[in-house]
Amino acid sequence: MASVLLDRVFKTYPGGFTAVKGVSFAVPDGGFCVLVGPSGCGKSTLLRMIAGLETISDGAVSIGDRVVNKVEPMDRDIAMVFQNYALYPHMSVYDNMAYGLRNLKTPEPEIRARVSEAARILELDDDMLKRKPRQLSGGQRQRVAMGRAIVRKPAVFLFDEPLSNLDAKLRVQMRIEIRKLQRRLKTTSVYVTHDQLEAMTLADMLVVMNAGRVEQVGAPLELYERPASVFVAGFLGSPPMNFLDGMIEKPGLVRLSGGGELAYDPAHFGPPLGAEVKAGVRPERVTFAKEGAGLSFALELVEELGLGQLVHGRVAGNDFTVALPASHNAPSGETQKLAILPDAVHLFDRKTGARL
Amino acid sequence: MVENRPFGNILAHLVLIVGVLVIVFPVYMAFVASTWDPATIANGKLGLLPGPYLVENYSRILFEGTGRTTRAHVDTMLFNSFVSAMIIATGKIAISLISSYAIVYFRFPFRMVAFWLIFLTLMFPVEVRIYPTYKIVADLGLLDTYTGLSVPLIASATATLLFRQFFMTVPDELLEAAKIDAAGPLRFFKDVLLPLSRTNIAALFVILFIYGWNQYLWPLLITTRDDMQTVVIGIKKIVAVQDALTEWQLAMATAILAMLPPVLVVVVMQKLFVKGLVETEK
Repeated sequence: MASVLLDRVFKTYPGGFTAVKGVSFAVPDGGFCVLVGPSGCGKSTLLRMIAGLETISDGAVSIGDRVVNKVEPMDRDIAMVFQNYALYPHMSVYDNMAYGLRNLKTPEPEIRARVSEAARILELDDDMLKRKPRQLSGGQRQRVAMGRAIVRKPAVFLFDEPLSNLDAKLRVQMRIEIRKLQRRLKTTSVYVTHDQLEAMTLADMLVVMNAGRVEQVGAPLELYERPASVFVAGFLGSPPMNFLDGMIEKPGLVRLSGGGELAYDPAHFGPPLGAEVKAGVRPERVTFAKEGAGLSFALELVEELGLGQLVHGRVAGNDFTVALPASHNAPSGETQKLAILPDAVHLFDRKTGARL
Repeated sequence: MVENRPFGNILAHLVLIVGVLVIVFPVYMAFVASTWDPATIANGKLGLLPGPYLVENYSRILFEGTGRTTRAHVDTMLFNSFVSAMIIATGKIAISLISSYAIVYFRFPFRMVAFWLIFLTLMFPVEVRIYPTYKIVADLGLLDTYTGLSVPLIASATATLLFRQFFMTVPDELLEAAKIDAAGPLRFFKDVLLPLSRTNIAALFVILFIYGWNQYLWPLLITTRDDMQTVVIGIKKIVAVQDALTEWQLAMATAILAMLPPVLVVVVMQKLFVKGLVETEK
């Protein structure tokens, strides 16, 4: 058990490329931290720096109370689950799990006890322990990779996109299992993914990264409801938030560049009059008005999800999606009027992308 | 084959059978010749069937000596060939495994220089550098020794390159997983890399054993004593006699015996050999 602390961490490659630019955050003891961001944002590099597989160019990484910048991976008291599992192909499942313990000169009875406990937790039966990794399915390999991490009883689990090689259904199932497992073992975990859904569901603490920097840190719902930037707002949520460009005309009202106006809650946002803004609205916070003077919505396509409907169209020259629950009937007709409550509107600075 | 047409099958088999016959027939004739007396062979009366001298010829080369010029027994020669081929094959594999491990997994100064130096030796086979090599071996007093027979042939770029290519296909994550699993460089080499290279090692062993077994020029230079000769030279010496009838039956019998160990090695390791050349097991 240990906390993980990153203090102004930089990673610059010999070629001069800086992958991580001054990242700081702290994962509390027993916390589940998810690093999320598009590919190339530096999240995997950061994880590998915590693991000790990449050197740290500047800043400090601490595990527990110890700065581990110069500590070898094996002495950091961590275990890592790799994207392609990285199981030793010539060893049986049992040996794969036991290998690390054997290297640490753990007595054989203790190894046997720990492996069988891990196997029990992960529902791997004795027959499977004797098999080679290539005789297992993707999901089973995934379990073995986690088993290899569990038997070590490390202070910190590191997950590097562990579910991205699985098919969609299995991914959901394993996601739930990882969460349950972490709750049960209460081991501090750092998890890297590019899948925002995975990130939202797993995290106690979400770190959204973009281009080597942290965009926002916080609880998943907090980030969802109060995104600190256009990037976070657009990254979290599926379908993503709709954005409309505009200008503050008077407190509580945005004049949209493409025509029309949008009311917002002036208690939450206080930009000066005349400010150039980007207004964001979550698709599920919008409905169609029966009548009235809402924004006009030019319908293009309806996607039927079963769980609801996604209605795609254009508003004031921008693409716009409305998510309707299943109980609603699909709108008919080419143009619709939108009903948007003022407190559903987020405002961002159009130049910096920061929340106003 | 995806298609399965009986006529195509028959045709394919016919072609294969003809091919096998072409290869096997000379070997069979060598065997037939090794079972006759010299007169029959010299008179050109050798038929297609084995003769009555099988036991006599083979026991003569094994226990009495190979002929008028050399007195060494074929079993001694076979032993010499076997020992030097084994040293060459295992030595080459051991050295190239270690050197390619260093080149692929370690960042040391002049790593690429080292790699290119090894690569360059491809252009200097024994035949090219035979005089300096002979001089060194002779000065070291290694003439007529197993060391002298095998060590100069061990340095090999081909095997190093092969292992380098293989190591580069091993996913980096395995190394990283091993690092986290508290395996140091030596343990990673022994526990992960070596078992993964098993089929490659087997394939290389077969090739190198035959390479060592078939050496002619180098053993010819380096051995002077009869009891250090290898079997390939033995055959040559039986054939090259002056002012006498060449004892072809003995030469053929020696050739047949000389063929057996490499054949055995291939047969025993065939499965691994093919796997090593074809399969990429990861």
